[in-house]
Amino acid sequence: MENALHVENLAKSYKRSMRHPGLLGAFKGLFSSKTQEFQAVKGISFSINRGERVGLIGENGAGKSTTLKMLTGIIAPTSGKLEVLGLLPWKQRRELALNIGVVFGQRPQLLWDIPVRETFRLLKAMYRIPSDVYEVTYKEAVRRLDLEPLLGTPVRLLSLGQRMRCDLAASLLHAPAIAFLDEPTIGLDLTVKEQVREYIRDMQDKFGVTLLITTHDLKDITEVCDRLLLLDKGTLLFDGSLKAFEKKFANESRIVADLERPATASALRKLSAEMKKHGGIVTGGEGHKLIVSYRKEGSAPVLTQILLKRQKVADLTLEKTDIETIVTRIYRKKPGKN
Amino acid sequence: MRPLQPPLTFTQNLESYRSLLVRCLKGSFSYKSTTINNLLTTLVAYAITIMIWHQVYQQNPNHVIPSTQMYVYLLLAGAVNYAMSLGMEFRIGQRIRTGLIATDLLKPIDFQMAQAIQSISDGLFNGALSFVVFSLGFFLFGTQMLPSSPSAFLLFLVSFVLGFTVIYGIGFVFVQGAFYTYSGYGIFAARNALQFTFSGFSAPLDYYPPLLRTITDYLPFRHTIYTPVAIYMGWVTGPAAYLLLLQQLGWTVGLFLVGKFLMGRALKQLEVQGG
Repeated sequence: MENALHVENLAKSYKRSMRHPGLLGAFKGLFSSKTQEFQAVKGISFSINRGERVGLIGENGAGKSTTLKMLTGIIAPTSGKLEVLGLLPWKQRRELALNIGVVFGQRPQLLWDIPVRETFRLLKAMYRIPSDVYEVTYKEAVRRLDLEPLLGTPVRLLSLGQRMRCDLAASLLHAPAIAFLDEPTIGLDLTVKEQVREYIRDMQDKFGVTLLITTHDLKDITEVCDRLLLLDKGTLLFDGSLKAFEKKFANESRIVADLERPATASALRKLSAEMKKHGGIVTGGEGHKLIVSYRKEGSAPVLTQILLKRQKVADLTLEKTDIETIVTRIYRKKPGKN
Repeated sequence: MRPLQPPLTFTQNLESYRSLLVRCLKGSFSYKSTTINNLLTTLVAYAITIMIWHQVYQQNPNHVIPSTQMYVYLLLAGAVNYAMSLGMEFRIGQRIRTGLIATDLLKPIDFQMAQAIQSISDGLFNGALSFVVFSLGFFLFGTQMLPSSPSAFLLFLVSFVLGFTVIYGIGFVFVQGAFYTYSGYGIFAARNALQFTFSGFSAPLDYYPPLLRTITDYLPFRHTIYTPVAIYMGWVTGPAAYLLLLQQLGWTVGLFLVGKFLMGRALKQLEVQGG
């Protein structure tokens, strides 16, 4: 499959000026300034094929936005190789811009003082969008994202959520080869988030848009993407499919039982001992609730049978660790965190 | 999957810029009260300048330039200055500080040209409003406000357009500083102070002390106000006027190239602030 982008040992470091604390410090800063080098991205490598849907996640300051800025050509990398659609983003920025769509969740590309539809018309001219394509993308955006009532409103009068919807539409009007979406659902309520995800999926299906989405809302990833890149302090911690991610990190499932009567201490001891023989660990047993964790695939039927034999169960659920829990655990396990 | 788009042709770029100009002009009408407020305070400031000069002439009537011509000059200089108020430093400075510059750089059009289009829009809008200043002059001084001859008027139009390209070039060169300082205000203040001092806005260049006059001759600022107004008033005619137009053209090209070079350097070290 054709490569949409290729990144090799990509790195970016900044010089940050360090401020002295307090008012006196601010005054001192007028005469002396210290700078510190900060490495935002530390030699990451990956490729994305045309038509792939990739999520890029990481904690605040992990280097997601810096990576996106380099991929779109607005900042130059400090070192490493970088190619997007066969172009060098930093050197061929305008040529690349014609073929990509970008949403920077907190930086609207819409013209601030004039109605939304004016920006759309400008973009049609600027990207030379053929009428047949525009007809589809414009109508689709207006219908899917409920933009009709917003089209005549100056952008500065829109709420954050309304602006985000318009901004997303603006970035996909020209059906770009790649869409870089930096927090596309920030500030949206749950219903609108769902609308936005559907719209993105639809645009991908219709035009084969390659997607690279950064987000803190993991539902954006699970509902839109097939592949995940996990950045941590500028390094790539994981690159693979969502399934591979779950397999690698979600090595634990749980049986959660709602007991008719709370289990006695001796019953719990016996249950724990028998569960242990079959790979189950009783991790919680307070009141009516009882939790059995296990790692080995296919253990659920045996463990459930043991549980049903030993306790009167009112209700029972099987839980796999979801991506959100896994990611939270990964973040928490890092040095300096508990 | 849509095929990749080739770079835009010259004609396609022109269409983009035309479309951008229309939107910028529409945006200019967004802040009516600010515009009216700005125009009124400007008129008051010009009236005060004329009153001060009137007092000077009352105390000593023997001047190189007769009083009425001086008042006409000041009003014309004011009108031209108003038309050339671009505010580019504030606009770009703020976008650099907030990181919004990223969205400008992601457009498939040339940043320098896009800023020129925005400036043309500002110029057209402010130029239309500067007729209010001109009309005030016409009301006060009647036909003395008219150009010295039809050919002077035509040359003035050319010189005004060139003066506009010079002020845009100066602004664009200055605004590159904001890529390093992350503040447009300081840049604007510096450029505005130089413009105020060396353009002939506050008085014709004949009133400048010799040293200041020499410095002025080596700088581009005088071509933004003094040159077009002096041509309009018939103080410079014939080959001398054409020479001034050539100088304006030279500054336009030079400043454009310097701006392009500086922008390339500035973008290499750009940090788009924030995540």
